[in-house]
Amino acid sequence: MNVFLAILWKDLVTEWRSRDRAVAMGLFAMLVVAVFEFALPDGAGERSRALAPALLWVTYVFAALLGLGRAFALELENDALAALALAPADRGWVFLGKAAANLLILGVVQALVAVVFALFFDADWRPIALPLAGVVLLGSLGLCSAGTLFGAVAVRTRFREVMLPLLLLPLLVPVISGAVRATGALFAGAPSVPFEPIQLLIVTDAAYLILGFVGFEYVLDE
Amino acid sequence: MNVSGAAIAARGVAKRFAGAAALEGVDLDLAAGASLAVVGPNGAGKSTLLRLLAGLARPSAGRIEIDGRPPTHRRARAALGYLGHATLLSPGLTVRENLVFAARLYRVPSPRERAGDLLAAEGLEPLADRRAGALSRGQAQRVAIARALIHAPALVLLDEPFTGLDRGAAQRLAARLAELRARGHTSVLVTHGLEHVRDLADEALVLSAGRTAWRGRLEARGDDLERALAQALEQRERAA
Repeated sequence: MNVFLAILWKDLVTEWRSRDRAVAMGLFAMLVVAVFEFALPDGAGERSRALAPALLWVTYVFAALLGLGRAFALELENDALAALALAPADRGWVFLGKAAANLLILGVVQALVAVVFALFFDADWRPIALPLAGVVLLGSLGLCSAGTLFGAVAVRTRFREVMLPLLLLPLLVPVISGAVRATGALFAGAPSVPFEPIQLLIVTDAAYLILGFVGFEYVLDE
Repeated sequence: MNVSGAAIAARGVAKRFAGAAALEGVDLDLAAGASLAVVGPNGAGKSTLLRLLAGLARPSAGRIEIDGRPPTHRRARAALGYLGHATLLSPGLTVRENLVFAARLYRVPSPRERAGDLLAAEGLEPLADRRAGALSRGQAQRVAIARALIHAPALVLLDEPFTGLDRGAAQRLAARLAELRARGHTSVLVTHGLEHVRDLADEALVLSAGRTAWRGRLEARGDDLERALAQALEQRERAA
């Protein structure tokens, strides 16, 4: 637990000082939202609303990829990754600390993007804000746990910027599928979020969290 | 405070990178509280051996134990302090924050106080609020040494610790290592030259092209360390 908290603190302090990940992710996400706004023809209100869940998650996933790639690249400087690998605890706690920091930083960007998205797409998400936040949290948990695990795998490879999306995107299919369907149901005005996509998200999140916790013992080896 | 050092046992240790052998068949027994200098020319496998002892890499063959446990075991990791070629410092944190971070990782009681004490003891207070990324090589090395020793480890693994230090800092480090040795900490010091070796180690291991070229206790005179190192250098020259 100490290792988890120490790494979470370290990553958040470092990000607060530099803001390089949050700014890069935020700018990228805004750009994508703007492109979608220009790409969709005027008067396509209903069509836009139907596409909104997919567009929102495309924005979230690609912004997350940008941040996840940087999370371990920062640790290469001064071989700081070795300091994490030497921590006297199960390396799973290192994984959880990094994943939690990624989740919090992504969460800030996502909240900002959601507001801009709602403005551009002329949608009032206030009535569904709470369940939507829950769905985004579940989706992001899967995104960040798989992303943290494979970010650590990719960081030691020669083409790490290319390797992370290649490794990660196929694994994110169930996460994206569950998240888009649950978000779509909320946007369509369903009285409650359907259980099936939520179940898929919970199972996938649990699988990636367990895989990350156990697998990190070997992933940090040289 | 005297501590009980950690014993090292390694049998037939090999490490290969993409088929190329960095280490081959290295055996090592180091009693708790003993000090070993690992010397050899560049590319002899010294740093690889140290990283294997630290549990940062796993051997391709053979076995390593720190106090009867593999180096990747959390108790073995808790017992060791490691200083590598790089400083292991987080560049975005200040010097003080780096030490507090390390103290938290190692569950040192009162991390802030411990960091403050260490900053004062090592003469690092003027650098305390400077970011690690803005330090000179020598300054960063001094902080890295403090970081490696923050939890008073039973086993100290140091890779070229005098690199980048000015004369004063090198003398202070030599005194610190002598103090650790007197208190019973086990230490492994990797170096490519013989400076400091006789002052800081009881035994030496000469590596040449990944293999043990010489191993023995260091006497004031009469051992073959210099000759073994000279031969290792010659062998490397011929191979080059």
